[in-house]
Amino acid sequence: MTSPDQIAAQILSTKSLSVSQSWLNAFLASSSTAQRNIPPSAVAKTAIFRLLASDIKESLSKHRSCVLPVNTHDPTIQELRLQGSIPVQVLDIEDIGTSLWSQIEAIERVERGEAIRGREIVRTIAIGEDAEASENNRANNNPANGATASGNSGYGPHRLILEDSAGTMAVGVEMQRIDGIALEKLAIGAKLLLRNPSVARGMVLLTPGSVTLLGGKIEALDKPWREGRKARLLEKTAGIERE
Amino acid sequence: MARKILCVAEKPAIARAVATHLSGGAFRTNPIRGNQYVKNYEFDFNFGGAWGNCSVTMTSVVGHLTGLDFDRQYRGWESCPPGALFEAPVQETVDKDKLPIAENIRNQAKYSKALFIWTDCDREGEHIGSEVRNQAIAGNARIEVKRAKFSNTESAHVRRAALEPVNLDEHQASAVAARIELDLRIGAAFTRLQTLQLQTVVAALKEKVISYGFVVDRYLRVKNFKPETFWGIKVILSREGKKVNFLWKRVHLFDRAVVTMMLERCLLAKQAKVTKVNQKPTSKWRPLPLTTVDLQMMGSRFLRLDSQTIMKVAEGLYTKGFISYPRTETDQFDKAIDLKKLIEKQYPDNAWGQYARELIDGKFRAPRSGRHNDKAHPPIHPVSWVSPNQLNANEKKVYEFVARRFLACCSDDAKGKSTEVEIQYGDEFFHTSGLIVLERNYLDVYVYDKWESSQQLPNFEQGELFEPTEANIFESKTTAPNYLTEPELIGLMDANGIGTDATMAEHIAKIKDREYVAINQRGSGRSSVQEFVPTRLGIALVEGYDNVVDGLPNSVSLSKPFLRKEMELSMVEICSGTKTRQEVVQQSLDMYREVFIHTQRRINMLKNACRKYLVEETAS
Repeated sequence: MTSPDQIAAQILSTKSLSVSQSWLNAFLASSSTAQRNIPPSAVAKTAIFRLLASDIKESLSKHRSCVLPVNTHDPTIQELRLQGSIPVQVLDIEDIGTSLWSQIEAIERVERGEAIRGREIVRTIAIGEDAEASENNRANNNPANGATASGNSGYGPHRLILEDSAGTMAVGVEMQRIDGIALEKLAIGAKLLLRNPSVARGMVLLTPGSVTLLGGKIEALDKPWREGRKARLLEKTAGIERE
Repeated sequence: MARKILCVAEKPAIARAVATHLSGGAFRTNPIRGNQYVKNYEFDFNFGGAWGNCSVTMTSVVGHLTGLDFDRQYRGWESCPPGALFEAPVQETVDKDKLPIAENIRNQAKYSKALFIWTDCDREGEHIGSEVRNQAIAGNARIEVKRAKFSNTESAHVRRAALEPVNLDEHQASAVAARIELDLRIGAAFTRLQTLQLQTVVAALKEKVISYGFVVDRYLRVKNFKPETFWGIKVILSREGKKVNFLWKRVHLFDRAVVTMMLERCLLAKQAKVTKVNQKPTSKWRPLPLTTVDLQMMGSRFLRLDSQTIMKVAEGLYTKGFISYPRTETDQFDKAIDLKKLIEKQYPDNAWGQYARELIDGKFRAPRSGRHNDKAHPPIHPVSWVSPNQLNANEKKVYEFVARRFLACCSDDAKGKSTEVEIQYGDEFFHTSGLIVLERNYLDVYVYDKWESSQQLPNFEQGELFEPTEANIFESKTTAPNYLTEPELIGLMDANGIGTDATMAEHIAKIKDREYVAINQRGSGRSSVQEFVPTRLGIALVEGYDNVVDGLPNSVSLSKPFLRKEMELSMVEICSGTKTRQEVVQQSLDMYREVFIHTQRRINMLKNACRKYLVEETAS
């Protein structure tokens, strides 16, 4: 019979996650009857898989060393360097490089089936710009062009709402492009490991060096988030109008 | 001389031009009974080859000879349920006003050894050719049928075409026949359904609605648009008496707190570092050879003429032998064309003759090749020079554009030197660039393109550190797209593969005629453009149709281009011989029948949409 400590040690060494004692016991209790002869490494793998689909407020340790300090979101602090590895889960992701309106239009294009190959509709063309004609114009990144370009690609940067195992929330800003952080790729409830990140004015600065993507998803949060995304965007644009 | 050849052109003016060139001006003109425009021109010509020296009768039709219609019992508006029109038998008959022309061809064919068809070399021309052939064979079952391949009415070109007859392209003729049948069936079915149901709103739809769909689509985007505030960082350095603006690599973001934080981190870094200094030769490419779509787009932008007028003027210039055939998709010159000879013809011109001379004296470059070739016509180019005082104001504009564009194609690219500087400031990157134009080349003759030197940049060294003079946040708002303009609409239709180049101008004229759009003037003076704003009636129709098909599998909407696009693609397949006319007609009818049945069921939605707008209109 595999001991809980063995499994916990394995998860800590492979994923740097300190699992909560009570969650691990419950996990082992639910699976031990059927899986007596399974090697510990395989049990640990199953545990990690479950962990990534769980709410970390229940599954991970709330020890001081692996949660965000309470002053993380204090906007009066110019810079703060957090120590160690802190696991967090994603509660929200927003593309702040693209206007709400063009995000809504992009969703509507998909709704109308225009994202399918062969059914795309060209809606804007640059009159009098032979696209390939002038390298110079292409390189010349005037703001108008930049706006449409980033409007279509949806390359962010992204602003995330993160939550640690103690339930403390923080804003994360993608300071440099991180593979895997994108509206279509990152699920709600996905886990990230923050490694000695800097915090500025209450925002955690995310860079490839300070973030490890563990993946995963909380189905119960992700599905409604996706279904409600257009409505939320519309509500926000309506809010702008009232201001 | 016993042998006689019957030549038939698409229009009287072409018949006359060809007759003039082949006979050297010595021909007899005989009127025909029943039509005042069509004439028979008689002369002798040596065709060489199998025909040799023959007497020739050159005549013409006036566009299509025949029309397609349903059998008599289906013609009445309430003779049958509109859905039956998808299968009802159809017949091709000679149009009433074309009867004398058809009779003339049959009579002339009786005494002729061969029929030599001179209709324009495009799909429609091929089909008109097949109509002419049918009449000729009715008059003389043993007549030999050939056609001439030509793309302008310049003398040497016409004489060469006369010596090298080819066969009629049956595939292209069938493609047009398929289109005519589909247009008749689908158009009649939908129009009758609509009219029977909506007595107040009568409109022919199909492609008009599609091209129109773009106007409405844009209008709704403009109407629904909400401006949003964004923020960015701007870095300025004063050096060597010059003020250099650096642009943010992120352009701008929609979150003020994030931008503020990022700026603060730049300022904390104090110094910026030059990460890249890139100096390289750059060029602005000379334009591609001119196609119809480009002529319409550029023309309505630079010449202040609408696309239909441009095409009319261009066709006039072609008929008079000044420019090549103006309906072409080809943007590459065939190697066989003697471009230098064409350039030399422009020597006498006061405005660009000198430039043409310089090209021949050494500045000539082979034109760029685009990706399109319709295998029928070369790009539009001037075939002979004409003095401006022989032309009216519009002709002058269009001819000048064609000539300048042609000379520009045969010129060198404009050359310059660009400098790009990238800096890192804190975690953020910024860049600036400068341009010096060294040689203008084609820009000297192609006055429609602009490319100018920018302010010169001071010196930067890779790796050097400096303290920016200023770093600020700027704030601005997103702006709504503009209403659609005519050149944009042409571009969109082309980009989405709807409408052949020849039909686009007609669609646009039609939606203006039918009061589906109102024309708005944007800006003033020379920079003003005409915008299309849909009327309530137009919006009602498009919204109605979109609602009607909402929920259909693949949500095919009549106002969206897919169905039409698939039809255009099928035309191409008939032309290349991979599909038959029958297959295409059946497949397309099946697609439209589905939409039709659905439309029929949900016609009330269309009624409601129309009512909503019409009622609002009278109320406001």
